[in-house]
Amino acid sequence: MTTVLDHPTSAPGNSAMKRPLIERLNVFTAFGLGIISAIVFWYLARTFLPENTEGSFIKTRLDAVTIIAMLGWFFGFMTGIGALIGPFRWLLGKDLDHDESMFYAGKDQGIKRYFRYTTDHKVVGIQYLVITIIIFFVGGTLAMLIRMNLGHAGGGWLQPQTYNAIVGTHGIVMIVGTIIMITGPFGNFIMPIMIGARDMAFPRLNALSFWLIVAAIPPMLSSFFFGGISTGWSAYAPLASQAPPGMDGYIMFIVIFAISTMVAGANITTTVVKMRAKGMTWNRTPIFIYGVVASVALALPVFPLFFLSQVMSAMDRAVGSTFYDVRGGGSGWLYENLFWIMGHPEVYVILIPAVAALMEMAPVFTRRPLFSFNTAIMGIAGISGLSILVWAHHMYVTGWAPLLNGPFMLTTELISIPTGMLFLVLIGTLWRGRLWMTMPTASIYALLWNFMIGGITGIYLSDVPVDGALHGSMFVTAHFHYTLMGAGLTGALASLVFWFPKMTGRMFDRRLSWIAFWLVQIGFNVAFIGMFLVGLAGQPRRVDAYAALFNQGNSVTTMAAYSIMAGMLVLLYGVISSWTNGAIAPMNPWFAKTLDWTVPNPVPLENFEVLPVVTSDPYGYGKAQS
Amino acid sequence: MNKRLVAALGTVVLGGAVIAGLGTYVASAKNDSRVLAATPAGTMETPQGKLPHYTLEMAAYPDSMAGSHGKDGGVHADWVTYGPVTNFQVPAHSAITITIKQYDSGARLNNDFFATVHGTIDGTATINGVAVKSVDPEAVGHTFTVHGLADAKSSLFVSVPLPAVPDEKLPPTGYTTNPTTVTFTFITGDAGDYVWNCEYPCGDGTTARFGGPMSTQGYMAGNFHVVNA
Ligand code: HEM
Ligand SMILES: [Cu+2]
Ligand SMILES: [Cu+2]
Repeated sequence: MTTVLDHPTSAPGNSAMKRPLIERLNVFTAFGLGIISAIVFWYLARTFLPENTEGSFIKTRLDAVTIIAMLGWFFGFMTGIGALIGPFRWLLGKDLDHDESMFYAGKDQGIKRYFRYTTDHKVVGIQYLVITIIIFFVGGTLAMLIRMNLGHAGGGWLQPQTYNAIVGTHGIVMIVGTIIMITGPFGNFIMPIMIGARDMAFPRLNALSFWLIVAAIPPMLSSFFFGGISTGWSAYAPLASQAPPGMDGYIMFIVIFAISTMVAGANITTTVVKMRAKGMTWNRTPIFIYGVVASVALALPVFPLFFLSQVMSAMDRAVGSTFYDVRGGGSGWLYENLFWIMGHPEVYVILIPAVAALMEMAPVFTRRPLFSFNTAIMGIAGISGLSILVWAHHMYVTGWAPLLNGPFMLTTELISIPTGMLFLVLIGTLWRGRLWMTMPTASIYALLWNFMIGGITGIYLSDVPVDGALHGSMFVTAHFHYTLMGAGLTGALASLVFWFPKMTGRMFDRRLSWIAFWLVQIGFNVAFIGMFLVGLAGQPRRVDAYAALFNQGNSVTTMAAYSIMAGMLVLLYGVISSWTNGAIAPMNPWFAKTLDWTVPNPVPLENFEVLPVVTSDPYGYGKAQS
Repeated sequence: MNKRLVAALGTVVLGGAVIAGLGTYVASAKNDSRVLAATPAGTMETPQGKLPHYTLEMAAYPDSMAGSHGKDGGVHADWVTYGPVTNFQVPAHSAITITIKQYDSGARLNNDFFATVHGTIDGTATINGVAVKSVDPEAVGHTFTVHGLADAKSSLFVSVPLPAVPDEKLPPTGYTTNPTTVTFTFITGDAGDYVWNCEYPCGDGTTARFGGPMSTQGYMAGNFHVVNA
């Protein structure tokens, strides 16, 4: 395989006169073609679609036009980025030759490869990292607008409809951000190296999954200009069916994102199953890999339901089908079921890789083996299995199948058992270890604390009578922020600092990582404890104004939110400054034992010159050091 | 101080500025903050004794050509609206008489509760001079509903239905010359900030007709300030 390294740089440039199509496509052609084709589709739809039928109770034309224009954007963008070249050539029976494949892999293209349909998993990992940061920046800005509006009683700073649109968009943008924040950057960049592979199983699908996300974002953000989404992130029908055309942006966003997730899930699962290094038995496979695979494997069966739920929502809006409309024989409960059968597993899609990443770091920073590897795997498997059996705890008060409330309460509360196993493993690893105090180490403690609060309040909510009082209140909002942000995001930020040296070749500025950590963690805990209190007192979620009696808790939350904002911005600056001129990172700055730390910086195109052979598990730190 | 820390602080300030700028821009999209104060009208004999008396006059229109949206009707000329403005200010511990001229048609309420008069003296309102306790829920144009908990102690709830102007009395263009006049009197408590809105789904077709003017201040909703005289 070293021949690949020495291959003369013949492909790009040797025909400077007439550059082949594949070399001319990039993110700019994608946006250009996307916008042009959106306009063309919009114009054609407007011209040729029939008028609304007089007197019919569903008006479909405007939504049909909007959706067709967005489809135009989607096809234009994907064509413009070059996603169709591979399939097209395959259909013609002339698949890409070696030089073209090398071009696709981004060989010798410097910075330009990050703006192209590049297949190298390391490029895709960096692309995911950047898009995740952008998504969090957008979502975070919206969060601050929410908190400013809730800074004083009575509302009135933002219009109610604007407020609702901001809340819903914040929600769904952040959910997508947290879904990709670990499996995207680190699952793509680190995971293949960690298992000793040269790339993903399906490199072109890898590029596809990334560029689909880029294609999905503009429709979502455009919704602000078309009345916004007034439904919250869950877009319940029939409310969603009645919402202004902004809803179509949400639908497109989810449809495209769901495809991306399915593609990524198939790719990552196949890679791990088929491409682990020789000798890397399941017992010797690092726990992070289990986390990533559990996450995407859980997403694989449920995201098609998310996809379907939105296609049906689009049909109700644009062609007058009545899947969710009682007047036409449909049911709003259908939507809720489809949504939450996806929705609950999805929260573990987010959580599991975050916990697994911290489990990967715990042995490194305590210099001792992971405490009970098998318990960790049982925990992950148990959570994944149970998580598909609990969805109706989101629907206790909807009136759907009251007889099932009891059983769903049981399955939900059972999840605390495998969850407890994960706690046990982390605590066992830390127990009496000699700690190397870094920001990732502190993040393990932060996760244990935050996830304890998130999990215990989850058990309250899973209790049917208690949920009758708390459902729809700020208590629920505080619960899931403790899990998604307190646990999930904490793991992701630790991963960023931990794997930054391998991904960028530079160390993350130590001091900035600590400042960010404390600003975020303290701000977070103050903010969301305040939210628990007003939730318990009865403040409803997703309402722009509140009564004066909720004043105190809300102003505390708003002030603490500024601390979170400051911490995240310090972190952002840390990323930029460390990336551009941080200290040069050694090959293995943490003295870790997984394969990702055995490759040089920057990681060569094909990762390993000689594929490694694994002879032991990666946690052999022994007792001597502690 | 270390250069990096200063730059990090700069990033925080910059990020805060971006958010503040965006927030100001988004918030400026809301309608005008003009407030109409109640006019003194001597004193009034009420069940709570002799109280200072104030009056307020307003109207409900089938579009935005009247009210505070300007000659051309503003951005949403076809939206139903209250006028002349939608923010009101009245004194605390006083009798307040509100007169509403109702120019709009209407249909069935979602909730019959709002066909009944709530929170006024005697629980009555006069409609074209006739005192009533409720109206036909099948033909309501709008409601004027003030509500809220200003703080943990005082609350205010006043809700009065405005009957629909029958279709045959509506001219094909322009406003009817014969609006329905609804008058009611209630007594305010301690000072505080409340909101009011219409409870008849008269919105623009989105969100079960609770969208558009129903979800936007300056049309079918606004502020109701009770202040110490
Ligand atoms: C011990 C574990 C947990 C239990 C027992 C639990 C239970 C619940 C229950 C019963 C609800 C519904 C509350 C309601 O709407 O009235 C809920 C909401 C939610 N939970 Fe959890 N939860 C747990 C862990 C998690 C984790 C780990 C996450 C995410 C990483 C999470 C994310 C959410 C979200 C996003 C919602 C709200 C969805 C919405 O209505 O917008 N939960 N949880
Ligand atoms: Cu759930
Ligand atoms: Cu109205």
